[in-house]
Amino acid sequence: MIETRESNAAALETIRVMKRTRERHKLITNIFIYALLTVIALVFIYPFLWTVSTSFETTGGVFEFPPRLIPESPSFRNYIDVFTLVPVARQILNSVLICFIGVSCSVLIATLGAYPLAKMNFPGRDLIFYIILATLVLPNEAGMIVNYVTSANLGLLKSDVGKYVAVIAPALGNVAGLFLMRQAYLSVPLELLEAARMDGASELTIWRKVMLPLTLPTLSAFAILQFVAFWNTFLWPSIVLQGDRNLLPLSAGMLDLSSQFSTNTRATSAGAVIMILPILIVFLFFQRYFMRGLEGAVKG
Amino acid sequence: MIASDARVGSKARFWRNILTAYGFLLPTLSFKLLFTFWPIAFGIFLAFTQSNIIETKVIGTQNFRELFGTGEFEARGSSPYFFEGMLNSLKYLMCVPVIQFLSIGLAMLVNRQIPAIGLFRTAYYVPVVTSLAVVGFMWKGMYDQHGPLNYILTVFGLMDAKNPTGLLNNSSYALYAVMLMTVWKGLGYYMVLYLAGLQSIDRTLEEASVMDGANRWQVFWNITLPGLRPTLLVCSLLSTISAIKVFEEIYVLTGGSSGTYTVMYFVYAKAFQDFRFGFAAAAGLVVAFVSLIFGLINFRLTRGNQA
Repeated sequence: MIETRESNAAALETIRVMKRTRERHKLITNIFIYALLTVIALVFIYPFLWTVSTSFETTGGVFEFPPRLIPESPSFRNYIDVFTLVPVARQILNSVLICFIGVSCSVLIATLGAYPLAKMNFPGRDLIFYIILATLVLPNEAGMIVNYVTSANLGLLKSDVGKYVAVIAPALGNVAGLFLMRQAYLSVPLELLEAARMDGASELTIWRKVMLPLTLPTLSAFAILQFVAFWNTFLWPSIVLQGDRNLLPLSAGMLDLSSQFSTNTRATSAGAVIMILPILIVFLFFQRYFMRGLEGAVKG
Repeated sequence: MIASDARVGSKARFWRNILTAYGFLLPTLSFKLLFTFWPIAFGIFLAFTQSNIIETKVIGTQNFRELFGTGEFEARGSSPYFFEGMLNSLKYLMCVPVIQFLSIGLAMLVNRQIPAIGLFRTAYYVPVVTSLAVVGFMWKGMYDQHGPLNYILTVFGLMDAKNPTGLLNNSSYALYAVMLMTVWKGLGYYMVLYLAGLQSIDRTLEEASVMDGANRWQVFWNITLPGLRPTLLVCSLLSTISAIKVFEEIYVLTGGSSGTYTVMYFVYAKAFQDFRFGFAAAAGLVVAFVSLIFGLINFRLTRGNQA
């Protein structure tokens, strides 16, 4: 009796020791993992820290050995400078305008187009689906050239409004968004639609009153993906708008700023901070939607 | 399905159904037609013309003869910088295995439930949502003669601290320097895709093989990697195509100088600097053909023995 109790105690002790070593082992692994994660994070974040630091620094050389991240005499002077060098306020407004029109139009187009592909039966549906799918893999290297020729031939490059149409239109028929919405629509139970159809609702009403509210998370995910895309794109706008500073969105303006005022690194870095900030805020707030959209776009 | 619909409903209802469906699809189809199918078709046509937008003249295969330096262009040789650019674009393919290797590693590193892991994932992802216009500016700073990267190099004695040279001005390193930026910007994107791939692998499979005495390496090689194959196929295809088409990274960082001229830079320059749209379209068509071939090779390689 006593013997067994003693051996039990011994066994318990061994288990306790094992548990403790395992916990210690786990702790060491975790410390190692956090150290590794932090070092990698530093590699990804350092250029951003450098930009922010440079945008507030006003004295000394821009580059020094060793590099310094804490500004010696921080001030907003570089921010004031960048506003006098280029029409930043105007460019922010242009970016907002392009994003607003671009995102709402592409969401409208994708949510409309995905509906019959997911929930209606009609001749040619599968054919259309595969043709649209094929556009993802068809090489389109001359795309920008032809889009430029098309825009010129349509007379879009003659007026400011036309130029903005040319900037936005090629990005509107977004295939990833179409598939994302189609995938979301497929998960809406058919009974709901049948019930609405029985009640005599038109397809447009069903789309607006049933499908859109039920797929709002996916819709938001797509909207955020498109916002980031429209905000960041710079090459096509700078080709179409041909360096007219008052028309450029912030992204193309950033390129213009860093090439025209390449010696003024501090003012340019202030511009870069202004450019990144909205994206960073939107991204941090809607990160979950964003990741969902990204994964869905590839799976779909 | 369609036939039965028609039989059940009246003929009018059948046609109204079709009309409604195509009505919904009309915006998508018209935008696809104008900005995807038309560019492909017209781009092919343009390749056989001489065009400066105002007038377009069909000239047969002259653009291609000029590109490759055959026929009447025999004496002059191939178009200057076309093959140099193509070679650099192919060199850029070196990014592809590096990206897959690092992003799978990164995905496995962040695929664990520990406090603050979301913060790290976010940090790795921030470059992805940053515009290349900004990224280019930041990396010009990183690569500056007296910039942080050169400082690290001098610490390790790889660069003379008194007289450092910018890597972007050095024609033997500049292309690799741009590649490093591409990898840095893209890793987070591929990490998220691989993370989704990892999380779709049945965990019980891994646990069972650990029970059976498999070590970590065996689990990775026999369970994890096969499970990631669909993701690997997508990711390597995406990065292969974007490596051959690399242009914007070069444009923002070096402007094609110091031996970083790529074939898509050639296409861009011919169109928007020389305004030779037909010639540029011909070069673009060659690039399309090359990227199609590499896409297929990539597909064969990553599909593995699942055929």
